[in-house]
Amino acid sequence: MVAQMIEDWNLVIGIEIHAQVNSKSKLFSSSPTDFGSKPNSQVSLIDAAMPGMLPVINKFCIEQAVKSGIGLNAKINKKSIFDRKNYFYQDLPQGYQISQYKDPIVGEGFVEIETENGQKKIGVERLHLEQDAGKSLHDQDPNFTFVDLNRSGIALMEIVSKPDMSSPEEAVEYVRKVRSILRYLGTCDGNMEQGSLRADVNVSVNKPGNELGTRCEIKNLNSFKFIHAAIVYEAKRQIKLIEQGESVNQETRLFNTQSGETRSMRSKEDAHDYRYFPDPDLLPLTLDDDWIKGLQETIPELPDQIKERFINEYSLSSYDANIIVSDKATSKYFEDVVKNRNPKLVTTWVTGELFSILNKKNLIIEDSPITSKQLGELVDNIENGKISNRQAKEVLEEMCESGKGALEIIDEKGLSQISDENEIESLVDNVLNSNPENVKKYKNGKDKLFGFFVGEAMKLSKGKANPKIVNDLIKKKLSQ
Amino acid sequence: MEFDKKSLLKLGKLARISISDDKLNNLSKDLNSILEFVDQLKEIKTDQVDPTSNSLYQKLEVRDDKVDTKNSAEDILENAPEKEMDFFVVPKVIE
Repeated sequence: MVAQMIEDWNLVIGIEIHAQVNSKSKLFSSSPTDFGSKPNSQVSLIDAAMPGMLPVINKFCIEQAVKSGIGLNAKINKKSIFDRKNYFYQDLPQGYQISQYKDPIVGEGFVEIETENGQKKIGVERLHLEQDAGKSLHDQDPNFTFVDLNRSGIALMEIVSKPDMSSPEEAVEYVRKVRSILRYLGTCDGNMEQGSLRADVNVSVNKPGNELGTRCEIKNLNSFKFIHAAIVYEAKRQIKLIEQGESVNQETRLFNTQSGETRSMRSKEDAHDYRYFPDPDLLPLTLDDDWIKGLQETIPELPDQIKERFINEYSLSSYDANIIVSDKATSKYFEDVVKNRNPKLVTTWVTGELFSILNKKNLIIEDSPITSKQLGELVDNIENGKISNRQAKEVLEEMCESGKGALEIIDEKGLSQISDENEIESLVDNVLNSNPENVKKYKNGKDKLFGFFVGEAMKLSKGKANPKIVNDLIKKKLSQ
Repeated sequence: MEFDKKSLLKLGKLARISISDDKLNNLSKDLNSILEFVDQLKEIKTDQVDPTSNSLYQKLEVRDDKVDTKNSAEDILENAPEKEMDFFVVPKVIE
């Protein structure tokens, strides 16, 4: 539907991601960064911008920015500079935000995303460190705005993409991918609901062959769903304007999550209105080669590498591998289960049954009621033929409810599948001997009776016989 | 560099400082004389010098990621002209 509406148009999308550094204290002060604390309880004199305070940078935040840069395949700048970005707003007590302008800590890089047409490289322009602002509440009182400075001064990594995305789907994939990389690195928890990761999306439209259109920026999108919806709405709005002979104004817009519409926030002040200049309180940040090298060695295996390894080592399809590696906890869980087991079976049970249970219960894999060890035990019992797939589903559900192990439940319920050939052979003989008429009819060409024999044998075993062995034996006996 | 009245009004607006008409002339004159003074720096040849953001030859001091809560909400709100339920209270800001 989107495709139809914007068929003859190019979409050009660039994204700024604000990712909160996973630090205990703020970027330039020792105040805590805990979410949901009592208003203004995490504010130091530095965060409140009292006169004479000096910012001192948090070493951990520098490390996280560099690690993230490495994860984004980006150039690490050995010298970077902190600047003041000046603007006047009630949740910015300093009257300026300490940010990085011309010389960011991380330069150009890229991430690869999966699209309908295969892999696509999305350029990263830069990553820089900056302070978060406080929080304004406009709906507490008809005449006043309430300000909480707990967030003021928390370290953010702003990751700016190149305008390389051309559909809402690609934009969502890009944010997913960056989030996944940061989570693997442990530099940002990626919690979008709590605002640890939010996106500003720049959208413009143009006809193929024409020059780029005027872009609008939609601020503060904190879910994949909203990113998608905001881009669709905005693209349609701009196309409609142009088709009506009007023009698009360059402006900042807000997305209304209730109505699904964007509305104008304020004309974005020209960049130079921020009057950036190097912060005299902070010296340039210089990084040693050895120090960067040391950090490089701490970089864990990242999703792209794990994906490749899963495809090679376990013969997973690219599709399955993608699903599993998109989340660090999931790939860890998978890897725990798959060790010395059949990868295909494990993939099915993780991405199929386990995921559907988690979805139903609205749980993340870290809180899975079934541990990787427990699922492994279940898979073992399928693999060695003790229970059938159908029985295994029953066992899994029971495991979920009772927390008991697979084997315990199989024993309790008497579910254990009979795979012993001799035992099954006597069952089959029993069935064939008690139905001589049907055996005769079958041998005279009534093929359909095959199912009848299988059914009888299964009934006799109370459903426990391994159906494959039953099938094979009956086939063999009847052809004698 | 000439600092005209239009730039001055814009600067005032960005800083949320109102500048009355009768002060405009004098302020503009003052600012221009400051700029003229600073402009003398342009006489120095800098084409062989790397851009410098700070003239100190020191490394940036860093600190460990340790939490130290020095103030309570009460302390920090002590200087607030208006406060309520642990929030700073300011005139309504409409976006």
